[in-house]
Amino acid sequence: MHISMNELKAALRRCFEASGYFVGNYEDAANMIVWLEKHGLKGLEELEHALAYIAADQNKPQSKIIYEDSTSATIDAHGRSSLNCVAAAVDLAQAKALASGIATITVHNCHNRMFILKALTDCGRRGISAAAYWQNGSEIITEHTAAIRSGQRYPNYSQAITNLACSGEDKQALTIICSSRVDLTSSLQSTEQQSISAQQIAEHKALTVELGIEIDKKLWAEINQLGTGILVENTERSRLDAGGR
Amino acid sequence: MTSDAAIQTSLRGDTAMLLRPAKQVMDIERLGAFHQSRLSFMRTLVRRIFRERWQIEPVRFELDPKGYGTVVYEVSAPHGIFSFVLFSSFLSDDERNDRVIATKWDLTMALVEGRVDKAYVDHLAQNVPKQEAGRLDSRVFVLSRANRSARNFNYVVDQLAAGKQPDIAKIAEVGYLYRTTAVYGSGKLGMADWDKVCDKHKDFSRPFAGEMFVCWMLRNFSLLQVEHIAQHQSSNTYQPMQADIKRYFGIGNSTGLGMAPYLVNHPQLINQWIEMRELALARVRTLGGVNPLIKQNLIDLINRCSLHTRQTITEDERQTGHNQQMIEDLALMKRQVEADLESFDALVTWSEQHCLVPAQEMLVSILLEMHPELVDELEDFHTVEELLDLEPLMPLSELKMMIEQRYDWALAIDFDAEGSRETYWYRSEEKMEPRLGSIADVEGKKKHMDLAVGFAVRRCYDLLGEYINVHRNHTTADFMVQQPKLRGTVRRIQTMNHCIYGDIQANLLDKNILPMHLLRCKLAFFGVSKFDPRSRLWVRNTMFQGAPLLDEIGTTFSDDWFMPIAPTLSSTV
Repeated sequence: MHISMNELKAALRRCFEASGYFVGNYEDAANMIVWLEKHGLKGLEELEHALAYIAADQNKPQSKIIYEDSTSATIDAHGRSSLNCVAAAVDLAQAKALASGIATITVHNCHNRMFILKALTDCGRRGISAAAYWQNGSEIITEHTAAIRSGQRYPNYSQAITNLACSGEDKQALTIICSSRVDLTSSLQSTEQQSISAQQIAEHKALTVELGIEIDKKLWAEINQLGTGILVENTERSRLDAGGR
Repeated sequence: MTSDAAIQTSLRGDTAMLLRPAKQVMDIERLGAFHQSRLSFMRTLVRRIFRERWQIEPVRFELDPKGYGTVVYEVSAPHGIFSFVLFSSFLSDDERNDRVIATKWDLTMALVEGRVDKAYVDHLAQNVPKQEAGRLDSRVFVLSRANRSARNFNYVVDQLAAGKQPDIAKIAEVGYLYRTTAVYGSGKLGMADWDKVCDKHKDFSRPFAGEMFVCWMLRNFSLLQVEHIAQHQSSNTYQPMQADIKRYFGIGNSTGLGMAPYLVNHPQLINQWIEMRELALARVRTLGGVNPLIKQNLIDLINRCSLHTRQTITEDERQTGHNQQMIEDLALMKRQVEADLESFDALVTWSEQHCLVPAQEMLVSILLEMHPELVDELEDFHTVEELLDLEPLMPLSELKMMIEQRYDWALAIDFDAEGSRETYWYRSEEKMEPRLGSIADVEGKKKHMDLAVGFAVRRCYDLLGEYINVHRNHTTADFMVQQPKLRGTVRRIQTMNHCIYGDIQANLLDKNILPMHLLRCKLAFFGVSKFDPRSRLWVRNTMFQGAPLLDEIGTTFSDDWFMPIAPTLSSTV
């Protein structure tokens, strides 16, 4: 079915708010998904992978810095979705980069890492160059990278299938590099990678702004159903709370 | 023509104009005392339509003798062609309901990009009359509905059919034939997002321009429809309505709590609107000259505002008292102007010492009328890219100081005092309508909306103080990793520090909070008049009363419909 970006964003905010996300986090999460979808990077498909687990995050410990120095840090996300923890990690990388020129943050135990693309884009807009790398999968390992230059609006993104064996050592890791001094680019070494250029991302955005978003009815219903968790039952007394007759 | 850079230097820095402080302007009672002005969105829209001489013609007019059917207007504006599509249906009196929860209306409407063919109108006919229960596509960018005024509609039809004009006194009582009960845009129900409207449709790229246009078209249609029905009712005796009486008909509007969260959730946009209004005032105070002609214009406008207020009828005791006080304050103001008009700046200062806030704000609106050349160009600067951005490198000591300086009003509230956290805002499962509940409802409170900015800042400040005691040299980024719950609040504080206004300085949880102030503020930016509160939670008002008519496009245009008065009633204070 057809929906607008604004409808999707509003429904996602309700969905994440009902799932225990905090003020600021639920807006971030909604924005990350809408950003991917708007730019042709399958945000709704990513969301489908995440949807069954998002409510569980409220019972997990908060992200914790387990190592930190002036140019790097390691954060344990405790199995959280990047939807509610990666923005803070990117902010930390950005702050360190501004202070030291370049910084690396590694996030462990973090799911749905594709959503970092929106946070990287925010870095570019703020004049910070940023790059990210992560691997995914349990049987077939794929690898992913995205990077944005300082002052740019759109990142480049590449993914490829690797011949790596699953080691169990990966720890759902995500590496983020930020610099206020160096323009970072990233490209995979694989010869069979799928890449999306900043130009293609920009073109897809124009199309989405013109036409809106197509979404599977079932997924739309599921998002909205989750969002009902923030709605209060309608009663006669409740109607009076709106000044009703 | 001004520019962004010129505006920025007028607002900030060494050459900045003397703006009224946020503490004064953002006080909730003052916001609730704002009035329409020549920067209101209805005024700026009508200016644009008339100066650019838009062509608006009905290309499909299929109404039966009782006024039911389909009408399509084609709108040729400088940057594009649009269609205004309207469906008129029978609605029994007992089905007529102004609340957002209604499911049937007398009229439903859509504003669409481009020309529409029969197939597309058929598609709209399947969805537009259903409103929230229908689905639209990205060609549509405004959807609305309206109900007939039970007191006026049939009366006016009968009068015209009998060859008589409507009684002016009756119109002064209820100044419209239809009330619109919702006007949707910004991607609602599958419509085009604001991003698209803003980028692609320059004719409607100002805030709420499309929505205001639909209301103005509704007003024009309502006048056409009563004449159409009257003519069919009695073609032998029928007489059309006189133009000056037509102009006195506006569109009724009912606005409830739904508008209130918007003001809290769009602080940068609200800031932009208020910055432009305050800059306009500062320009007039600083640059606006005074001479005998201008002085007479000022007196005339004070007279007009007084008469307009006297012609505002409401059953609400508080509003009646305010209107009475306004009339007295305007009389005082007129005497002051007649006796001693040294400068507009001095007059504003005088009003702050001798008049209550509603009259002070009326004077602001009047002054903006005095020097259009200093004001009108600011109408092009009412949009802003809304981004609440975190500044991760900011030292926490700086963040703390920022809160102490910018949010001193929030820190001054005693949130432990009785009644200070008595109210909460929530969304009902019924069409997600925002409602205002009491803390006594424990279940509902768990699902409250996060609108209490003052309380959130207070909590953030307390936790920040504790954190700084341990981590004196940490940055905001460190703090955010440790306190993710505060991310939204910190981001807002840092972002709003770049704005002059923006945050409403009130405790929205207080048991005595009057949401009416928030509704009135936004409605004043829209440009409505004749506020008639029906409870502390919703208000009736009138849009486009006094505005020029559709068939007057291309004729002379004086842009002088501020605070309209009844056509045949005139007097002085």
